[in-house]
Formats: sequence, structure tokens, C-alpha cells
Amino acid sequence: MEREIPMLFAINEALHLAMEADPDVIVLGEDVAGGGGRKDQGIEEAWGGIMGATRGLLKRFGPERVRDTPISEMGFMGAAVGAALTGLRPVAELMFIDFIGVCLDPLLNQAAKLRYMFGGKARVPLTVRTSTGAGLRSAAQHSQSLYWMTAGIPGLKTVIPSNPADAKGLLLAAIRDDDPVVFCEPKALMFVSGPVAEGDYTVPLGKAALVREGADVSLVGFGRTVQTALRAAELLARDGVSADVLDLRSLQPLDEEAILATLGKTGRVVVVDEAPPRCGIASDVAALCVDKGFDLLNAPVRRVTAPHAPVPFSPVLEDAYVPTPEAVVAAARALLG
Amino acid sequence: MATALAMPKLGMTMREGRVVSWPQPVGARVEKGAVVLVIESEKAEVEIEAPAAGVLRHVYVPEGETVPSGTLLAAITETADEPFDAAAFRRVHDRPEAAAAGPVPAAAVAGGGSVRRTAETPVTPAARALARRLGVEPARVPGTGPGGRVTREDVEAWAARRRALVPVAEGVALEVPTEGAGDPVVLLPGFGTDVSMFARQIPVLAERWHVLGVNPRGVGLSDAPEEARYDVATMAADVAALLDEPAHVVGASLGAAVAIELALAHPERLRSLTLITPFVEADARLLAVVDAWCRVASEASAEAVARLLLPWMFSRAYLADEGRRERTARGLAATAPRVPAPTLARAAAGIRAWSGSRRTDLARLSLPTLVIVAGDDLLTPDGEAVAGAIPGARCRTVPRAAHAVALEAPEAVGEAIRTHLEAR
Repeated sequence: MEREIPMLFAINEALHLAMEADPDVIVLGEDVAGGGGRKDQGIEEAWGGIMGATRGLLKRFGPERVRDTPISEMGFMGAAVGAALTGLRPVAELMFIDFIGVCLDPLLNQAAKLRYMFGGKARVPLTVRTSTGAGLRSAAQHSQSLYWMTAGIPGLKTVIPSNPADAKGLLLAAIRDDDPVVFCEPKALMFVSGPVAEGDYTVPLGKAALVREGADVSLVGFGRTVQTALRAAELLARDGVSADVLDLRSLQPLDEEAILATLGKTGRVVVVDEAPPRCGIASDVAALCVDKGFDLLNAPVRRVTAPHAPVPFSPVLEDAYVPTPEAVVAAARALLG
Repeated sequence: MATALAMPKLGMTMREGRVVSWPQPVGARVEKGAVVLVIESEKAEVEIEAPAAGVLRHVYVPEGETVPSGTLLAAITETADEPFDAAAFRRVHDRPEAAAAGPVPAAAVAGGGSVRRTAETPVTPAARALARRLGVEPARVPGTGPGGRVTREDVEAWAARRRALVPVAEGVALEVPTEGAGDPVVLLPGFGTDVSMFARQIPVLAERWHVLGVNPRGVGLSDAPEEARYDVATMAADVAALLDEPAHVVGASLGAAVAIELALAHPERLRSLTLITPFVEADARLLAVVDAWCRVASEASAEAVARLLLPWMFSRAYLADEGRRERTARGLAATAPRVPAPTLARAAAGIRAWSGSRRTDLARLSLPTLVIVAGDDLLTPDGEAVAGAIPGARCRTVPRAAHAVALEAPEAVGEAIRTHLEAR
């Protein structure tokens, strides 16, 4: 049965299902237990994470498997990598991807490298849940879209859902994957509802989804920008332009086949990325189109991205910073002539 | 249901038109017959009426743009909210003709209009790949993408239009625009140009006859096979293959040579013969100009070709009017890409080989023949002698006009042809 629930609840549901199905799954991070579990003080339930994604886990699975950590990303990330090496499947919550700088070494040099350096004899089934992007007026240090960084580190997988159903399926797949996966949660979508099936299911890592079909131009997005692209497709349809909208879902592995398929269909690609343009996913997709799809191109590949600038705190500027449907429409129009 | 509104073709030589204005906004209700569009074609503004009642749903070409005939300009749907896919509609209904020829509005030449083709015009990779698969030369395809870029759709449209060509020989099909009804009149253009040179005569002739303009092999859309012959007799055989009944044949300069060759080979296929500025022997000056023409066309711009030709093709009096001179230069420059350098070189070899070969054969011609001579013709000054060598030929000399007499004195030439054909 399907219900309409927000992405936040879908993530919470996935965590419950994963922990139910596998006793090796543990959750750790700042405030994930939310200070709950103090039976002596009559506090059993707590909020659970900054947004409440881990709410209810403590009560259901106990403090052994749901662990609050000190405000030390380096500490709990190192602990999570170590736990993963011992055979557990830890889900570490990095509150904002902006904080990755203080815990990069366990990810970059340990989690990402150990399977490779031990000839396949070690594995790190770690999932890092982390919030990304602008949209909650969280200013320059809590609004970045740094997924391009983890996607660019060999040995790490990076996924980002655009809707509650995919959030649930991708998170379950990430937790059950034997490699470290960075699971990005677009802040702006956390309270947006969509249909989600009950029960346990996974969305395969590395598979994009064609979420709208058209013939004239392909709009490629991921996370929040899928919604931007869908809105742009609606605006274009008013003018009789029909757009394919491709949701990448996984940034690494990247579904090259799906990108080339939509390019082959329309010959025109606009990639929409919430991150700045340099060294980004949009540039990566554009390069793929030119490299492996050159003869399919019927127009230049256009990137619609944030500017090369920090995310502004001013609400007006923040809204102007993120790619808008209108900017996507303009880019598509420029390709169609 | 949607109805297409395309750039019309008002006369067979109209290749493009400019969108002057859209009097109704997009979304407005229009009645059938109401004026929805004003275009400009060869200096005349024409009001275009809605072909159907409905809503002006989508405008593809903004005001001020010049596009080829057949280009989809707008779509009219029955209702304002019925499903309508503008791009899909364009794929079906956009059928632009090849690049502009003849005198064109300055904007199309100077402003980098959407139909302008130069060696540097970009071709999208997808268009290039499709062209390779279809055996199309992408440089010959007019581009309609942003900045005149040749798109996959352009190559598709070109290939579709090429399928409308008339096959005349193994691997050779010709572009033969037609107009009017009646006995056939075949127009054969001169060296380095296409049927647009007869732009001013065609409407006159189409009032009474079925006019067939023939773009020879290598010109315009017509095939340009690499390994084929481009000699005068072969071009005459191409024309013979087009005819299914006897025709009045009109040729100018090299076209006159083709006409003579055709008349000698198949006199029974002709009703009459009209030779405009003909030659049977190319003199040293004509050969030198042809040589320079080929060289400049392969090494310089279409504009340079046009500037080279002006003094050889037009009289001093004609060139004295600066506005007219500039318009003519632009027109020649727009036509030049329709005759690419390899075609020029092949046709030039054809002229050299043919020159002098038919000197004594003119006496065998027994068709009603009109020779139109230009009084100030530097390139083929012996037209009167040609007339004298053809038994019974009449000669009409247009004074103070030069080799491009059909362009310089269009009314006189059109009138002379009409009178000649009417007498048959």
C-alpha cells in the first residue's frame, strides 16, 4: 500500500526496516538518540537527530544500537569505519555535509581505500547519512552541495534521492551495500511528501530513473534539481516543447547508459546542479555526453548550476542562488533555437 | 487539431521571406481569413491570412527574421488548451527550402540571418553523423538552429526534400522547381548561377506556360556526383531526360550552349529555342573571367566572387546607381553558395571542351529560334553572329545592357521571350 509521506518519514521508515531486518545495523552520530533513554529521569523518547530522522529508533532498538556521540565528527566517523571493519553495518549521521572537512580522513583515506588496499579481504559497509543543499536559510556553512567531492573519491559511492520513495529504497540499498555509501538528503525536500510503498524494498545503486518522457530536450537533475527540472518541463510543455527528465539518483556509480539514452533520444541536454559549476556533477555529465555521445549531440550541452560563490544567508539571495525552473527553461530554449 | 502556417512561396523563384510583423499576439483568437502575418518578399509586403479559425498557439519565427520558404512560422490550434507539442509539430511541418538566392533583403546577408551558409557555419555532431549515414554533404544543408547551426532536423528536412528531386541519369537527380500550367518552357541558367537568374521572367511566362527551371547537376539541391561528367552534352542529356513532351527551351550563356546541344541532339523534343547571350566559341576574355571566377570562388568569400563579377556582368549605366549595385552584389553573393567551387571547375572544363565544337552545326538547326543579344556584352560579344548562323533565327538586341541581361533588363528579356513563344 502506498501513502503520501515526507522524505523525512521515508528515511525514518528505512532505518527502522534496516535495523529490524539486520541486527548488525547500528546508528550513531550527534543527537541521533536525542538525549533519550534516560529512564531514571522519565525520558525514554527523544526527537532523534536535528530533523528527527532517527526518532523512535532508540526506544525500539535500545542504546546499544542507537548511539549519541560527542560533537566530534572525526571521532564518530573513525568509530563508524572501525565498526564497519568489524562486520557491523553502521549508519553514521553527519548533520551537514559542510562538516565533512573535519572528518574527511576516515572517509577519504580509510573507508574508501581499505577494500582496495587489503586485496578485497576487508570491507567497509558504512553508510553516511548527511544533509545537503540550500533551502532552509542555513547560511554558507550549512547549505553546501558537496556531493561532487565524495563522488570524486574512488571507493566511495554517493547517492541522492529526489523523492520520498527513492529515499527509502536508496537508503535500504546503501545500508545493505558492502562498500561505503554517502547518502545525501536534500534539505529542501525533507518535508515534501510523496507516495511511498509500505514494506521493505530497495532502489539499486547506480541506476537513474526517467521521471518524465519527452522528445525535444533532456533535462538531467538529481536531488532537489529533479523537482526544478520537472517544473521547467511543465513550463516548456506550455510552449509545446516536450522534455525528458532524468533523475540520476546515484552520482557514483553514474548511470552513463541512461544519460546517453536520453541524449540519443533528444540530442539536447541541460544538466541542472545545485552545486557551483567547477569540477561538478553537471560538468561531469556534460563531459560524458561529449566524450561518449558526441555523434548524438544536436546542440551544445548546457549546465544550469549555482554560481561559483558561497550560499548566501539572505533569503532573497539564497533563492536567487539555486537554479530556478526559469533558468532551465531559458537554457533549453537556447538549445532549441 | 493544429494548422501550420509556413513561409509561402509566392512565385517559383521566391526562396525566402522576412517576417515583418505578427499583428495578433500569441494566444489570440483568429478567424479564418483574418490577417495574422505580414511578410516581405522581394521588396513587396504581403499580408498572410489565417488558413483556419482558432487560436494563434505558437509562433516559431519572430519579427524581423528572414527564413526560407516552407519554414514553419506558426501553429493555429482549434482551442487554446488542447494538447499541442510545438517541437513535434515543427518536425512534421517545417520544410524550409535551401539557402537564399537572388536579390535578398540586406538583413539576411549582413545580419547573419538564420539561412546564411558559410564554410564556418557550425554543424552539430548529430547532424554530421546523420549526414554521413544519409550520404549528405553537411556544408550544403541550410541551418535553422541557433546562429544558423545545422541540426539533425535540418539534415532530415534536406534529405526529405532531396527525395523530391527528378532523376535524370544513374545517380543524378535534379532540382526542377516548376510554376504555371500549359506547354512546358524549360529555363537553363548560365555558368555559376541557378534558376533564380530568371526570377523576373518566370512570373510573366508562368501566366501562359508550365515553366520548369532546371538547376543543372552540381547546382542548388541537384546532385553533384564526384565521378560524373559535367560536359555540355551530358547536361543537355539531363534536360532531355526531364522532358515528357516537346518544350520551349530557353538558355542563357552556358545554358544557351546546353540548349544548342539539346536542339542538335533531339530537335523533335523542342517547340522553340531561345538563346540569351549565347556563344559557340568562348573567347580569351570569357575563358579568363571563368578561370578567375573559379579561382576566387575556391579561395575567397561569396562576397568576393560577387564583387569580381559585377563589372563583367553589368553595364556601366547599371553600375552607376550605387544602391542598385550593392543590392545586386548581395544577391550574387547569396546565390554563389548554391554553385560550389567544384561545380564551377567542372562546368568551366565543360565550356572549354565545348567551345568551337559546334561552329558549323548551327546551320543544321531548323527550330523557331530567338537570339537575345546584349549590346554591351563583354563576355559573349558574338551573339549576333550566332543568330546569323542559325537559319531563320530572329535576333533581338537589348542596347546598353551587359552579359547578365536577364537581370539588367528583365522586362525587355521577358517580353522578348513571351512574344517569341506566343508566335509558335
